[in-house]
Amino acid sequence: MKIFSESHKTVFVVDHCPYMAESCRQHVEFDMLVKNRTQGIIPLAPISKSLWTCSVESSMEYCRIMYDIFPFKKLVNFIVSDSGAHILNSWTQEDQNLQELMAALAAVGPPNPRADPECCSILHGLVAAVETLCKITEYQHEARTMLMENAERVGNRGRIICITNAKSDSHVRMLEDCVQETIHEHNKLAANSDHLMQIQKCELVLIHTYPVGEDSLVSDRLKKELSPVLTSEVHSVRAGRHLATKLNVLVQQHFDLASTTITNIPMKEEQHANTSANYDVELLHHKDAHVDFIKSGDNHIGGNSREGTFKETVTLKWCTPRTNSVELHYCTGAYRISPVDVNSRPSSCLTNFLLNGRSVLLEQPRKSGSKVISHMLSSHGGEIFLHVLSSSRSILEDPPSISEGCGGRVTDYRITDFGEFMRENRLTPFLDPRYKIDGSLEIPLERAKDQLEKHTRYWPMIISQTTIFNMQAVVPLASVIVKEALTDEDVLNCQKTIYNLVDMERKNDPLPISTVGTRGKGPKRDEQYRIMWNELETLVRAHINNSDKHQRVLECLLACRSKPPEEEERKKRGRKREDKEDKSEKSGKDYELEKPWQESERLKGVLDREKEELAEAEVIKDSPDSPEPPNKKPLITIDEIPPVEKTKGPMSLLSLWSNRINTANSRKHQEFIGRLNSVNNKAELYQHLKEENGMETTENGKASRQ
Amino acid sequence: MCSLITIVHSGRIMCNFSFQEALSNMDDYDKTCLESALVGVCNVVQQEWGAAIPCQVVLVTDGCLGIGRGSLRHSLATCNQRNESSRFPLPFPFPSKLYIMCMANLEELQSSDSLDCLERLVDLNNGEGQIFTIDGPLCLKNVQSMFGKLIDLAYTPFHAVLKCGHLTSDVQVFPRPEPFIIDEEIDPIPKAINTDLEIVGFIDIADISSPPVLSRHLVLPIALNKEGDEVGPGITDDTEDENSANQIAGKIPNFCVLLHGSLKVEGMVAIVQLGPEWHGMLYSQADSKKKSNLMMSLFEPGPEPLPWLGKMAQLGPISDAKENPYGEDDNKSPFPLQPKNKRSYAQNVTVWIKPSGLQTDVQKILRNARKLPEKTQTFYKELNRLRKAALAFGFLDLLKGVADMLERECTLLPDTAHPDAAFQLTHAAQQLKAASNGTSEYAAYDHNITPLQTDFSSSSTERI
Repeated sequence: MKIFSESHKTVFVVDHCPYMAESCRQHVEFDMLVKNRTQGIIPLAPISKSLWTCSVESSMEYCRIMYDIFPFKKLVNFIVSDSGAHILNSWTQEDQNLQELMAALAAVGPPNPRADPECCSILHGLVAAVETLCKITEYQHEARTMLMENAERVGNRGRIICITNAKSDSHVRMLEDCVQETIHEHNKLAANSDHLMQIQKCELVLIHTYPVGEDSLVSDRLKKELSPVLTSEVHSVRAGRHLATKLNVLVQQHFDLASTTITNIPMKEEQHANTSANYDVELLHHKDAHVDFIKSGDNHIGGNSREGTFKETVTLKWCTPRTNSVELHYCTGAYRISPVDVNSRPSSCLTNFLLNGRSVLLEQPRKSGSKVISHMLSSHGGEIFLHVLSSSRSILEDPPSISEGCGGRVTDYRITDFGEFMRENRLTPFLDPRYKIDGSLEIPLERAKDQLEKHTRYWPMIISQTTIFNMQAVVPLASVIVKEALTDEDVLNCQKTIYNLVDMERKNDPLPISTVGTRGKGPKRDEQYRIMWNELETLVRAHINNSDKHQRVLECLLACRSKPPEEEERKKRGRKREDKEDKSEKSGKDYELEKPWQESERLKGVLDREKEELAEAEVIKDSPDSPEPPNKKPLITIDEIPPVEKTKGPMSLLSLWSNRINTANSRKHQEFIGRLNSVNNKAELYQHLKEENGMETTENGKASRQ
Repeated sequence: MCSLITIVHSGRIMCNFSFQEALSNMDDYDKTCLESALVGVCNVVQQEWGAAIPCQVVLVTDGCLGIGRGSLRHSLATCNQRNESSRFPLPFPFPSKLYIMCMANLEELQSSDSLDCLERLVDLNNGEGQIFTIDGPLCLKNVQSMFGKLIDLAYTPFHAVLKCGHLTSDVQVFPRPEPFIIDEEIDPIPKAINTDLEIVGFIDIADISSPPVLSRHLVLPIALNKEGDEVGPGITDDTEDENSANQIAGKIPNFCVLLHGSLKVEGMVAIVQLGPEWHGMLYSQADSKKKSNLMMSLFEPGPEPLPWLGKMAQLGPISDAKENPYGEDDNKSPFPLQPKNKRSYAQNVTVWIKPSGLQTDVQKILRNARKLPEKTQTFYKELNRLRKAALAFGFLDLLKGVADMLERECTLLPDTAHPDAAFQLTHAAQQLKAASNGTSEYAAYDHNITPLQTDFSSSSTERI
């Protein structure tokens, strides 16, 4: 494909000399009388269009089809020629629409039949056309700027469509010579200019038009090369609908268009709303939409279009759409369409149906009689596209299912959570440029990638790999901590979340810890909380470099998850740790295991069993994404030991069992011990915060009340 | 998938893209006619796959090109003199590579003009393809090594890393994505896709709306060992071995599986960056009720592959928007983007090329004229539409004609008609006449005929 082919630039040169005011001698009945009402009244005499009107409306139709199908990168420059050249628009994209051209044409008005024919000539327009072809378009400029040293690759080609009334074949030759000479001259000028480009190739399409019923003084001539730069063709066409038909054929040739007729469109009758008849609508579009028919030579060409004899159309059958199904079709191309007869009732019924958001599948009638859906009509943002659906065999037949491949045996993916993640990372257009702090342009797509990076810093893929993401209570923190910047309210919410977790721990609420792969009940409650806190810390730590506020959340977390006060106290008494613990325990956890260990050798069996369980749990958790491994000695064993100590001598199974039960029960009393030691739980926590975060106690109090 | 075609004068098709039994049924034939074989290839591929799917054509020959009519020499000598019906089959009418495997070594081929003829074939296929010859004497080992080269060249799997932020997976993309030329003139170098496939965000299926794609590919998660060699696609063999690499790979969580599952459940696609200004989409494709897969489709390279999404670089995260463009209840969407200018079928353009177009527009005015003053608004709207078009087309006779018609309508008004009807019709007719002179201020394109302000009709016309 070439962007800068001849069809990048089209110049229309329309003759505005006095003889163009002549009638085309084709009458239009415009006063169609309605029956019953106007008996005895003679309709008004039919009127006829001038050669000018025919030329202008045919060229406007050419432009209408072109703009519908190629709203960008295919540009028209409209020039009207009489005693001088009137250039009605420029190559800029803003000038490329029908309204602009219509307004400019209205300003020019019809030719003045009483003007001096000697002063008027189409030559003015042709010279201006060559001149305008040398002017660079914004697309050419952009491409040249982008290609830098390869700027010469950007071509400058164009087409001049000249509609005039020539006097003879030699007059035509004179026009051609003039264009050739002008190109030669302007190419010399352009060679020495920065904002002009030399014309590499110019296609001159001369259309001689004359009133119906007259003999043509000019003969048709096929495309001929006049010079390496210029080719020319001559069309001698009667005015009126013949001219319109000619330009319709030309727009199809020039822009590689093809025609599709949608057949069997059910439509309510205008007069009888309860009956419906089937209609056909002919559409134009790029011929690639027929690529499968053309290459396979299996054309299914449904004969000639209703218009007449000149062109072929492919017939496709309307399939009444199912309601509102959102499906992703395998579509190999989508091409903008333009209805041939844009204002006819069937056309506007079809286009309105599509513009309202419905899609229509189209069926290709095959020789064998089998049905194949080959195309789909669908509108996107007010533009209708003909989608080509793949109807041939897929090369990806019978592929292995995803469940048979890597990771296919895993059953607890966080599908719903990732769905939520995808919804949060949906894209939206940002049409106005935004700038970064340093003044450089911010690319929204790069922002989207940044966000994905942030949101995935800690994202366990399976349910059994995570605790915090299975907890509703963590959501307020987890949903905001990934943000680039936090508001004070966000920080407060994170803190609230942490306090809430502390509260849960105090109340010994159960946690959704996965027991997959572990025998028995899995880790003990205290251990569960340790796992949870570790994981939460991993999540928060992944984001502490985002901002100071993220840091504050971490500080709060570290402060809150620290040892309960009574254990702080014991630490102060200087008990030694028996320690193979990981670094995250720096925040002040301590375990006084040594002494009880020696004292209760007989309990070894019990403890070992627990150790094994935990070790097992560790194996499962031990993957890079999972939280840091739990400590070998869970908190709970510390509390278990004292009651056991008291029962010296051999233990029965019953006493072992009751000890465990007692231990479990005794945990509920621990807080009381804490309080009896006159260390108020709440007060202690808030003090920590105050010291470490420099925050007001009242603020914390407020937060905890909420 | 493969198809086997034996070369005889008819170009017999042994089997159609499935290899069962065909080899054992093969007989020896007597005549070599390459052209008919290539025609056969053309037909088979097009019938089966259409014109869009790339196909590798492997021609195995001993380097003898046949004799007389139907020989390759004869075919090539006449290939410029063909008419449409007997077109030479090259270049193939589908994206293709023609690999010619010669069961002969280079010296043998060069001793005749065989090599030249075979090179012509590749040239005729727009240079798409390659000739392989045997190194050394003709023996099984050397033949195997020649086919080994073909396999390396044409059938190397495409390995890539699928990334979504920190979530990644090693994948194989099948079939291999083909390099693409955007514009042969300004950028003739084919573009290949990155081996890092980076997800940039997500879009609902309804919003992406069956986009056109260049090609589509399976994205298969693979397990790589430390050296980067593929251990296996993770597909479990029937021969159950509990400790096989595949078994283990199946049990290790993989991002592709997670992504696939969520895309399927949510009805979304992931937009993936394939290179500079080149994007594609990942989605779940169901083969049957049970089987489904992660697929990737490639959009055409360029800054704006889908007009209804706008420029890809301008797509950003919803969190950057002032308010969620999808709505709090997920009940709206920022897509599709509306183009600046409406297309002709969406803006009520005026086309009078067929008389019926003009008649319909005049009829509309007339119908509304008869319902004045109730239809004053529509009457003037249609009148102004006709007026603008007539001025642009320089069709001033029409303005006169319609003015005459409105005057006549005025005389035909029944006694029961509202007095305002007559006033409005006369007013409209005068204004059209004034415009039809083409010179007065009434002929200005932007001028609009406004309803006549009348006292007695305040209830209906002055509401404007």
